[in-house]
Amino acid sequence: MASVTLSGIEKHFGDTRVIKGVDIAIGDGEFAVFVGPSGCGKSTLLRMIAGLDDPAAGTIRIGERTVNGLPPKERGVSMVFQTYALYPHMTVRDNMGFGLMIAGTEPSTIGSKVAGAAKILGLDKLLDRLPRQLSGGQRQRVAMGRAMVRDPQVFLFDEPLSNLDAKLRVQMRTEIRALHQRLKTTSIYVTHDQIEAMTMADRIIVLRDGLVEQIGTPAHLYDNPCNTFVATFIGSPSMNLVAGKAQGTSATADAGGTLALSDHFAALGERRVVLGLRPEHLRVREAGAASGIPCTVKVVEFSGADTLLTCDAQGHMVQALVHDRLLVKAGDAVTLAIEPHLVHVFDEATQQRL
Amino acid sequence: MKKTLDKLLLGVCVILLVSPAISFFLWMLSLAFKNEVDNLAFPPVFIPSPPTFANFIKVFDSGPFFKYLLNSIVVSGLATGIALLIGVPAGYGIARLKAKKLLMVIMIARMTPAISFLIPLFTLFQALGLTGTLAPVIITHLVITVPITVYIVSGYFETLPNELEEAAVVDGCSPWQRFRHIALPLARPGITVAAILAFIFSWNNFIFGAVLAGRETRTLPVAIYNVLTFEQIAWGPLAAAALLVTLPVLLLTLVIQKEIVGGLTAGGVKGG
Amino acid sequence: MRKLSRPISPFIWFIVPAVIVIIAVIVFPWMFTLWMSLFDWKIGSVARFAGLSNFTELATNTRFLESIAHTLIFTAMAVAAPLVLGTAAALVFHQEFPMRGFLRGAFVLPMMATPVAIALVWVMMFHPQQGVLNYLLSLVGIGPSEWVYSPRLSIACLVLVDIWQWTPLVMLIVLGGMASLPADPFEAALMEGATRWQTFRYVTLPMLLPFILVAGVVRMIDALKTFDTIYVITQGGPGTASETINIYLYLQAFSFYQIGKSSAVVVVFFVLVVALSMLLFWLRERSKYYE
Repeated sequence: MASVTLSGIEKHFGDTRVIKGVDIAIGDGEFAVFVGPSGCGKSTLLRMIAGLDDPAAGTIRIGERTVNGLPPKERGVSMVFQTYALYPHMTVRDNMGFGLMIAGTEPSTIGSKVAGAAKILGLDKLLDRLPRQLSGGQRQRVAMGRAMVRDPQVFLFDEPLSNLDAKLRVQMRTEIRALHQRLKTTSIYVTHDQIEAMTMADRIIVLRDGLVEQIGTPAHLYDNPCNTFVATFIGSPSMNLVAGKAQGTSATADAGGTLALSDHFAALGERRVVLGLRPEHLRVREAGAASGIPCTVKVVEFSGADTLLTCDAQGHMVQALVHDRLLVKAGDAVTLAIEPHLVHVFDEATQQRL
Repeated sequence: MKKTLDKLLLGVCVILLVSPAISFFLWMLSLAFKNEVDNLAFPPVFIPSPPTFANFIKVFDSGPFFKYLLNSIVVSGLATGIALLIGVPAGYGIARLKAKKLLMVIMIARMTPAISFLIPLFTLFQALGLTGTLAPVIITHLVITVPITVYIVSGYFETLPNELEEAAVVDGCSPWQRFRHIALPLARPGITVAAILAFIFSWNNFIFGAVLAGRETRTLPVAIYNVLTFEQIAWGPLAAAALLVTLPVLLLTLVIQKEIVGGLTAGGVKGG
Repeated sequence: MRKLSRPISPFIWFIVPAVIVIIAVIVFPWMFTLWMSLFDWKIGSVARFAGLSNFTELATNTRFLESIAHTLIFTAMAVAAPLVLGTAAALVFHQEFPMRGFLRGAFVLPMMATPVAIALVWVMMFHPQQGVLNYLLSLVGIGPSEWVYSPRLSIACLVLVDIWQWTPLVMLIVLGGMASLPADPFEAALMEGATRWQTFRYVTLPMLLPFILVAGVVRMIDALKTFDTIYVITQGGPGTASETINIYLYLQAFSFYQIGKSSAVVVVFFVLVVALSMLLFWLRERSKYYE
């Protein structure tokens, strides 16, 4: 068990700066998730922590040790790959025991460790199968088992669920989370899927273009995104961004309508802003209501528990997620209203939270 | 530190691997360009001083070298040409029909020693009175050129996605038109490799010519072998002759080695 | 041609010319050989039906049996050595280094060059008095060798030429295999701390095994069929010390014109080749770990 600290990490591929200066501190036993769009550098960072790549600048510390330049084996880390990376010619048992075997561990020890991990992951009946005889989920579990038996200080997960179908992904998410609660090993998990990040992380690190955008617990990132990128990245369906002008505790949307802001913004004065409205926070009122954004319903998507309304406010699309069964249909005119304290306000020029 | 040691080790390995081939050909060059005296010297002289073309001149003078060269060109050229004419469509047909069994037959053809074709064909040509012309040689060379052409070309056509041609089918193309206007141009690289390999293996062939050709219709490999056994000839001209015979092949190989590597690794084929 | 209504695909016509040629130059000769093996026929005289007597005669023919032994010894050595050297070469050429393309081209030259031309140069190199090989031996203090003029060494010398010539082909096949291997088991091995040797022994080699066996099959079939180099360098000699089945066959057919007997040899030879190939194919199937 150990903490992981990245300080001043930079990485170039040729002339391109891929990581532009990253500082991250992950606590002992924490389940940290690196999340961001493709190309943001999250996998690159993971590989540098693993020891498969070296940073151009900066230090990586695992526990108290600086591990720059150390090969993976000496860092005390284990990695679960996106493509599982199982040895195709070895049985499940040999796959899981390989690392121990080449380190010269006693065969009996290897046997018991492999059996133990297999039991936890439900693989005990599959130990003599070859990877090609396993399903995707089973292969992923073998990959995790292989990482587990070495009792590492840090688990690294590189988008392990991307190759699985949706239903399996949901199931594996829970299993990985449960595993972490049982083993309590520091884990760093890379994904592009914000739902995985939200459901699994103790803390989320949002990355974009080689820089850290924000670090925080899922709740914190949901309630207080620091800029429009994090705001729209976290939460599904994404937050609506509406341009407008703020004046003290009131804001006028360019697409029409006024919204009341919380008192916190009283000292704002007059400025151009971007208003962030989460679909699940919007309420549907009759057309012509005093506060809110007037618009016309374009698409109604009913999915049992919720209904997603896509509305047109003077050419600008706004989505609302409601739980009640409403009698709105496409073409109806409505007003979308929201509680003042749920409105996120970002400066239009800097896109930062106000 | 470890990195430089690794690079050094790699360099040594590369040199060890490539030197047998390179030193052999360098020695061949040396033998060909040395004059009589140097060739008989012991310890052997490595770098001829001065290098001489006398051996090559002797090769061209003694015996109808150009005739044999022409024979080789005609035989290999025609054998390759015919193989392309019938082998490329066949490769296409096999690929589209997914006829693996026919490829098996070709594989079996590869397994049998050349002589097993020769004996019956020899008796046949004897009976027909054709021994002494180039025809039997060309026909038997088809045993070499057709299988390898079909094998490589069919493999190539298989990698061309069906969708490209299906668009043409919807437009009303007949199979022949599909083949001629769409598949054929796209397969040009594969056909080129097949043609070059077929030509090289036909050019290199010794045994078919040895059995079936008369004095006038020998191909180059047969000709230089006869030089060794029937005439007391010095090493210089012999090496020069060997060099001349294999030079076209060596040059072809160096120029398109990348494509040849690709064509051969896809199945590991070698001609008769 | 409307494809949908015809039971026979029009693609048949593409194949027909080639099929005709193959039947003419490959299938027909084969049938003929099979047929002729049952006759006693020397060119110039009348053929007489002889049943299986050609085969029974071969079974007790010392020279033929010895040729089988020579062939097997030659093939065993000419397959094993290139497999090892070729795999090692593939490992080297899999790495990146300057001028790799050109050097690979040079490495490949021996297998493409005209075998007869190559063999002639080897003859000159093997020469006991004036050959360069004995000179090189003398530089390291070893006495001159008789090379191909020694009955004991002739097969070994021929194997040497074969190794020089065909190791590149093994390398190409194995190299192709290496290029097709997935990369991430190797990263996983790196993560688990495997040394280079351990990675080679437990990961690379097992995964390469199917390809090495393919190279083995190809090499074995070619080695069994070797003719040009042996004929030019030793003619099967000294005496019959390096006479392989193929050389023996050639002599029977084209020196002695014994069509019947040589056809029988062809049949036996073919059975041998097929049997050994089946063995290696079976081994290859067993080594396949992918779907």
